[in-house]
Amino acid sequence: MVKEEQEESSNRPDNTAFTQQRLPAWQPILSASIVIPMFLLIGAAFIGVGVALFITSRDIQLQELDYTGDDSEHPCFKCRTNTEKCTCSMTFSIPTLFKGPVFFYYGLTNYFQNQRKYGASKDDNQLYGDLDYFTNPSTDCDPYTRDSKNMPIVPCGALANSMFNDSFSLSHTVNGVQKIVPLDGKGIAWWTDYNIKYRNPTLNSVFFSGTKKPTNWPKPIYELDTTDVYNNGFINQDFLVWMRRAALPDFRKLYRRITHDDYADGLPAGNYTLTIAYNYPVHSFNGKKKVVLSNVSWMGGKNDFLGIAYIVVGSMCVVMSVVMLIVYARFKFAEDV
Amino acid sequence: LTWEVKANSRHYHKHKQRKSFLCFTWGRYSDNVVRSHKYSLLTFLPLTLFEQFQRAANIYFLLMVVLQCVPAISSIPWYITIIPLLVVLSVRGLKDLASDMARRRCDSEINSRPCDVLVSQFMTAQWKDVCVGDLLRIRRDQIIPADLLLLSSSEPHSLCYVETADIDETNLKYRQALGATHNELTSHPSEEALGAFNVVLCEEPNNRLYTFRGQLQWQGECFLLENEHVLLRGTVLRNTDFAYGLTIYTIVLSVLLAALLLAIGAGVSSYQVMTQTSFLSALVVDGNPAYNGFLVYWSYIILLSPAMPIALYIRFEVIHTIHSKFIGWDLEMYWKQTDKPAEARNTSLSEELGQVGYLLSDKTGTLTQNRLLLRQCCIAGQIYPMDLSWNPFSSGGLRMFSPTLVETLRGQRCPVTTQFLSALALCHTVMAEWKEGSPVYQAASPDEETLVGAARELGWVFLSRTRDFVVVSELGATRQYQLLALLDFTSKRRRMSVLRDPEGGLKLYCKGADVVILERLQKNCPHQESTEMALELFAEACLRTLCIAVRSVPEALWERWSETLALSAAMATCERDTLLEKLYDEMERDLLLLGVTAIEDRLQEGVPETIALLQEAGIRVWVLTGDKKTAVNIGYACRLLHPESRLLEWQELRQILQSADPQVSFFKAKQTELWATHKEMARAKTSVVLTGSELQAEFEERPEWGASFMSLAEQCQSVLCCRVTPAQKAEIVKLVRKHTASITMSIGDGANDVNMIKAHIGVGLAGREGGQAVHNADFAVSQFRFLQRLLLVHGRWSYRRISLFLRYFLFKTCGFALVHIWFGILNGFSAQQSLYETWFIALYTVFYTAVPVMCMAFFEQDVSAESSLKFPELYKSGQKKELSSPRKLVTYLLYAVYMSLVLFFIPCGVFYNTAYDYQTMAVTVSMAATFAVTVILTKYWTKFNIAALCVSVVMFFICTRITHSTRLFQSSPVDYFFLVSEKAFIDPVVWLTALLTAWTAVLPSVTFHAFNVILSVHNKHKIHNSSPPPVELTSRFARGSSLRRSSYAISQGAGPGRLIHSATSIQRAEALKEEKVST
Repeated sequence: MVKEEQEESSNRPDNTAFTQQRLPAWQPILSASIVIPMFLLIGAAFIGVGVALFITSRDIQLQELDYTGDDSEHPCFKCRTNTEKCTCSMTFSIPTLFKGPVFFYYGLTNYFQNQRKYGASKDDNQLYGDLDYFTNPSTDCDPYTRDSKNMPIVPCGALANSMFNDSFSLSHTVNGVQKIVPLDGKGIAWWTDYNIKYRNPTLNSVFFSGTKKPTNWPKPIYELDTTDVYNNGFINQDFLVWMRRAALPDFRKLYRRITHDDYADGLPAGNYTLTIAYNYPVHSFNGKKKVVLSNVSWMGGKNDFLGIAYIVVGSMCVVMSVVMLIVYARFKFAEDV
Repeated sequence: LTWEVKANSRHYHKHKQRKSFLCFTWGRYSDNVVRSHKYSLLTFLPLTLFEQFQRAANIYFLLMVVLQCVPAISSIPWYITIIPLLVVLSVRGLKDLASDMARRRCDSEINSRPCDVLVSQFMTAQWKDVCVGDLLRIRRDQIIPADLLLLSSSEPHSLCYVETADIDETNLKYRQALGATHNELTSHPSEEALGAFNVVLCEEPNNRLYTFRGQLQWQGECFLLENEHVLLRGTVLRNTDFAYGLTIYTIVLSVLLAALLLAIGAGVSSYQVMTQTSFLSALVVDGNPAYNGFLVYWSYIILLSPAMPIALYIRFEVIHTIHSKFIGWDLEMYWKQTDKPAEARNTSLSEELGQVGYLLSDKTGTLTQNRLLLRQCCIAGQIYPMDLSWNPFSSGGLRMFSPTLVETLRGQRCPVTTQFLSALALCHTVMAEWKEGSPVYQAASPDEETLVGAARELGWVFLSRTRDFVVVSELGATRQYQLLALLDFTSKRRRMSVLRDPEGGLKLYCKGADVVILERLQKNCPHQESTEMALELFAEACLRTLCIAVRSVPEALWERWSETLALSAAMATCERDTLLEKLYDEMERDLLLLGVTAIEDRLQEGVPETIALLQEAGIRVWVLTGDKKTAVNIGYACRLLHPESRLLEWQELRQILQSADPQVSFFKAKQTELWATHKEMARAKTSVVLTGSELQAEFEERPEWGASFMSLAEQCQSVLCCRVTPAQKAEIVKLVRKHTASITMSIGDGANDVNMIKAHIGVGLAGREGGQAVHNADFAVSQFRFLQRLLLVHGRWSYRRISLFLRYFLFKTCGFALVHIWFGILNGFSAQQSLYETWFIALYTVFYTAVPVMCMAFFEQDVSAESSLKFPELYKSGQKKELSSPRKLVTYLLYAVYMSLVLFFIPCGVFYNTAYDYQTMAVTVSMAATFAVTVILTKYWTKFNIAALCVSVVMFFICTRITHSTRLFQSSPVDYFFLVSEKAFIDPVVWLTALLTAWTAVLPSVTFHAFNVILSVHNKHKIHNSSPPPVELTSRFARGSSLRRSSYAISQGAGPGRLIHSATSIQRAEALKEEKVST
């Protein structure tokens, strides 16, 4: 009957749940007895996570050494404004065993690697080994595209030009004798960087002919590490680490790891000397340089903030649920009266 | 008079024919081709672009695109904005094109309508071939193809009737040919004679419909032409077999030119813009710091542009379309009898339906069925009920009235009864038209038609009318009455009389409003008391009453009277009217009351309930009607006016308005009344009754009254405006719109409501009266009562959904975009540095967050349709714009700022002074943003909502993995240089940070809702407990002055009586004038 009618009148709208806006729907009927426990539960969970994070973070050992040399007492003070090669060394002691594996970072502050023009001043195609861009780098690199003689710069751009060039060595004083702690520079960059993003042209130096090294560099890109083909050119680990821009103006970058068998358990307690080849100028922009030694946990490096934030937000939820409970109780009470 | 038309000489006009090429036109006489389409092949692109860039939003987006094309400041790839913009432009363009095609089709249909053109003899031609100077023959019921000078017609005196439904209210209008042409053509009806007319000189074409000046030069003489001689294009010839006319105007086209000039202007200016931008990019190279600052500024503009993405625009269109579809799909608004569902013709208004504060309604055909029934009549003091089911349009079925009446009639026992019916059959201006052996009546007033029809059903059949005679069949016996004078209905006199001469005797039949008739009765008129009782009774039943009376006129009186009449008719117009008035008065006295008719103007189904419901929902209902004050009856019947409410009439209102402080005196006026116990009640129960002319006259003098009137009207339950012409209806709508911030909605059904429908929202009732209103309306429904659903259900939902959507959308995009400002603090304000990956910016609003919010905008229902109707108070939140108030928006914007702060600073705190790189942070923040906006507090979770939510989150992960994939990087290292998700998605810190950030970001809104839940428990109780105590009325005074509400709703202005009866005298007068001119 009904169907026939529908066929007769073509204008009759369809009688479906969708067209009649009668779609079955779940309409959560929230009540205080759901909301308050929910808040309490979430708050508790957050606090739990926060505490776990905080404890983990607290167990991580961290040794930070500022070697900028702003202080005139500082051994590196002499190198601060020195334009020539300068070496300084700092001593520090580790009171207890510094559990391994130990990561060796260098850190910079007030350094805006996330500045747009600075960060974009590179040529991804060139770094990907595309030879067309060797002779003709992208204008993104301006003003570090070509040198004064109009020769193309490889790698072009401000980012590469300003590569961090301090180098460090660490020695352990064992019985009055300085013992060099071997630093492992392998695999400190991201896998995707040295396997995908950056590629050397197949035949090394040949293709770099007709190009210039970045103006601030002491040596061309293909001589960064002449001992290891897989750590030279664009896929040099230090270069890759530098090229991966930091998010914020205070940052660390991985320099080395301490993985040598002698230090497999970590750095034993004792006195250490850090020798710095001081090249990188930070004085002009009020920057600071430092070296950070740290071990890691499942959550990476030391990070108190995350744990505290979790605890704070979690307690806010708990407080909120208590407030709700009070409000609810008062109304309930008022009604009963 | 510079417009020269030569009859039947095409070659003369042809060489002056208007021609056009592109935008240039020359020549005087246009052809008769309708070109309402806007575009041609050449002009489409520039015109459509021009039109679209008139919208500020499009200009804004264009600016964004242009900015992004400047390499020095572009921070996100150009395609991110230009693709949506192109989509929007092309969709709109195509939509325009489609509607233009429809117009073209419609035009060509009109252009190819047939008509008869004289080319040595009459040939059928198409409308578009008609040109100025052509002689046309129009047949009955044909539409007139161009503005014609009426030369003659088949009717006596070359009268002819045109229906002007398309143009204004009065349905039938009378046109008469010039005496000279009429005489010539009726004496020698030949085609040569038709072609012999010479030259017509008249005004240049204009759009003044009601005035026309011109002269006809013919046979060496010169005749003045007036509006009366002109048949306008688009009107329909009725009751006239054929008419001859000379084409004087064809269509004027003027629109195209202006538009095209503007388009060229736009082109030039956009060219200038283009050159300017290249100039800009040239400057950038200089590296001037001031310019750098300038560029950074623009870069920020671009970077923050996703806060108002063009996607919003597209989405609004989609949501509106779906909402409109829902309206069309609603089975409850489907009217089975005409097989018409509701229709949203304008899709972009659906949310305004939820905020309507004023409903202005037409009466006839909208509230009422426009189907008048003679429900009861009272003859000689005795009431005869009529059957309800009787239909005045069926001429066959006689299943009505009481058997006693028939018996009385058949037996001819009661002379009063026969007189009564004779009066009904004789005293009117109805025209009879014979169709298939039975007369079909055509009248300017539906009341008259009903009465004449009723008389026919009872045996007094009005057969035909000539100028001097009225032929009536009285119970089978045909009698011819001589019509001596027709004292026409005027707005002042409210009555109408006919003198007739049966077998020698002179009789005056009079019908009119009770007030007028009763005071003119002879002394000691029989049945007066019982008739007045009946009047009360009818009035109570909301029937429209008319009194019928008769008078035997002595021969001597008539002689004297007619002489005076003839004299005064020739006098100057201004005096003549008053004199005639006096004269008529003299004749209409000593009347003998015959009886009363009671006509029911049947209300549409569910009208009273609907009006009551809408009023409960806080909508102020105004009824604007062309009827007289008697429409108050309908007001009561449809619960517009409450029986207890006090009617505030114009005089009183005027006093209030004149006083220094209208508000105060208004309350005072109410307080003096005793009929309500407390003020609140008093306010609710006041209604204003006005007439259109009063309103207009006053407001033209004192425009400042408009505001105070509106503020008073706001205090009143309802307003009823009577005797409003279509133009005044539009004025009132304008007045309301001007002085109130609320959305106004107007509803009407006929062509005369078209002006009025141009409120914020126009609703057309798809009823029996043509499609004019519907074509001009934003919404079309079939029944008045569907407004309930349209407003309270669809409107409310739509408003809610859209404001929730808008709010949420702004929150979502602003929170997302503002992050860049905070990031700017920590990256040296290098604006162009986006915190997000460009692909994330591009996809965020499209894939990751769009669908859930869209689903909410489609399906959200806070309460079901049934409850929406059950609790009309819910509608009030829309009127107060509670959900879209600036305060709410600001709150949400602040919330967005909060969210952006959280989105940036929590990850910032986590990643500060660590080895995490920029790209990892970007992914973390993106992830947090996606999570945060996924928390939608919908109350109505359909399967689509849930699916959309899941899909969006999954999409984020899938798309991120795709854009971070090695393969894409290898194909284009510059575009896909983010190769981070592989590592970031397995990093616990990234996850923990994202979750924490997202939860903190949504915490305020979740808390707010939680508090709402807790407090609502309390509020619900409050509502239940606080239903207002019933107010008892201390006294029930009778409303107004008289309970009796008589009516006589013959359409306004001087009726056709003058033309019908005194055509000759007019001609004489005309001839006199014409002679004066020619000499």
